[in-house]
Amino acid sequence: MIQDYLILSVILFCIGILGVVSRRNVLIVFMSIELMLNAANLAFIAFSRFHVSMDGHVLAMMVMAVAAAEAALALAVVILLHRHKGKLDTNVFSLLKG
Amino acid sequence: MNDFLSLFPLLIICSGGILLMLLSAFERVKLENAPVLSMGIFGAAFVMQLIASGIPESTLYADTFNGMLVSNGFTHAASLVIIGCGFFTSMSCHTYFRQNNPCTMEFYSLLFFAAFGMLLLTLSRELITTFISLEIMSLAIYILVGYDRKRVTSTEALLKYLLLGAFAGAFFTMGSALIYGGAGSTKFYDIGIFISTHSAATPLLIGGTFFIFIAFLFKVAAFPFHAWVIDVYEGAATPVTGFMATALKAAIFTVFANFLALNSALQKEWVDFLFYIALFTMFGGNLIAIGQANIKRMLAASGIVHTGYLLIGLVAISTESFTGSVIAYYLAAYAVGTLGIFAALSYLGGKGEKRMSFDDFKGLAKVRPYSAAAIAVFLLSMAGIPPTAGFMGKFYIITSAISAGQMALAVFAVVSSILSMWYYLRLIIIMYFHEAEDAFEIESSVFAPACTFILVFFVFAIGLYPIVV
Repeated sequence: MIQDYLILSVILFCIGILGVVSRRNVLIVFMSIELMLNAANLAFIAFSRFHVSMDGHVLAMMVMAVAAAEAALALAVVILLHRHKGKLDTNVFSLLKG
Repeated sequence: MNDFLSLFPLLIICSGGILLMLLSAFERVKLENAPVLSMGIFGAAFVMQLIASGIPESTLYADTFNGMLVSNGFTHAASLVIIGCGFFTSMSCHTYFRQNNPCTMEFYSLLFFAAFGMLLLTLSRELITTFISLEIMSLAIYILVGYDRKRVTSTEALLKYLLLGAFAGAFFTMGSALIYGGAGSTKFYDIGIFISTHSAATPLLIGGTFFIFIAFLFKVAAFPFHAWVIDVYEGAATPVTGFMATALKAAIFTVFANFLALNSALQKEWVDFLFYIALFTMFGGNLIAIGQANIKRMLAASGIVHTGYLLIGLVAISTESFTGSVIAYYLAAYAVGTLGIFAALSYLGGKGEKRMSFDDFKGLAKVRPYSAAAIAVFLLSMAGIPPTAGFMGKFYIITSAISAGQMALAVFAVVSSILSMWYYLRLIIIMYFHEAEDAFEIESSVFAPACTFILVFFVFAIGLYPIVV
């Protein structure tokens, strides 16, 4: 029973990693990171059920709050990026080198 | 009462951040005075932390916080380093922002929120508290890195840091979820008990610990995850870079050491892994640093090398009698040297950070002999020449490695320390043995130069402290 949830969580996590690594659009990359956080939340809740304790539920709430704060900052960065370059591609930034 | 006293510096920092934010909203303080106010609050917190330092190990408000926060000698020392970093950073900000695009008041309140996250990180003994304080710290630091919105390089630094930092944060949550599944608790103490009665080698615990290590190693810029640090340090404002390089590293290494020290079985399991990470971090950092032409990038790469030395301290942790004194001492020694050189760069950098490459500092000793001497002291301390703090720090790290039976690692640390002379001495040679081409005109402000010379004093004071006491 718990295995199913864990497998789903691991699959979501891997999709998230793939998205971060392979996509070039900043918005998609942030979405993938959110997916990874939600995979962790799913694992928390599944384990919470498994251990018959409420800890995991509380922890999932905390992670959600932090994810929201991070998303707010990420969207601000997306707007900043769009103002500078007019594009949301991570490849256009290559000034810092050496 | 003791619990309150231990938390008091944290409360001062937090309310200081909120106070500055309110003052900036109501425009009651001139921007010129904001760094002075911020220095005052950091100073008050430092004094309170000094008073609290005598308190023995205690679980803070065990009923209310459910054993999530623990303070001991190690966390007191790390908090002193972090608050000190905040103090000197606000001091050099005063001068830096006269010569560069001026910041707004919120900059200083973000500095406080970052420091708050770091202090909470040193105290936390639970995975989710660690995650939340890690994010409080990181979110504030992200904004500080990209604070100058008009500069494209700082936006690029912000984007790179935010993307990779959030990625590492996701690994941390997944790691804590797996450990929660494996051990049934997220408290360090309960995990330690679980491992000592069961085994640390279950798939869930190994996977969870591995993910958490990835997140920590990313934040301290250890070997496979070091690539971001050079770009981010170059793109951020100079005082912010100094703050990131010192206070952030102090906070993460404190919680990393606390996590590793929770159980000897866990530490034994990972000692080989950390051995190779430390080795590659030292030599990889040295290779990168040798090739740099920009001083900020060189310092970023040398920061990677220092991470390597601190990782040796983690390999050599003895979990039975863990005090963290070696790591805390090295953090303090590294912090004064690095903060000092970034304070010097803050005022010598000139308008818009125009002087940042090695060649720009040709003949500095002829024009500004005192500043050049101060930079030379900081560089020698980082290279580990006696009688500076850096030498004593390395001495303790290497002796702890030898007494833990890691003879090979001790030898590699000495070799890497000799290699690092290459790029530290190169800057000294450029400053002293060339004719000056630049007049090195700077904005007249006493704060950053004063900060530099106070830190020169601290380099020697911390270096002589173990001999005197």
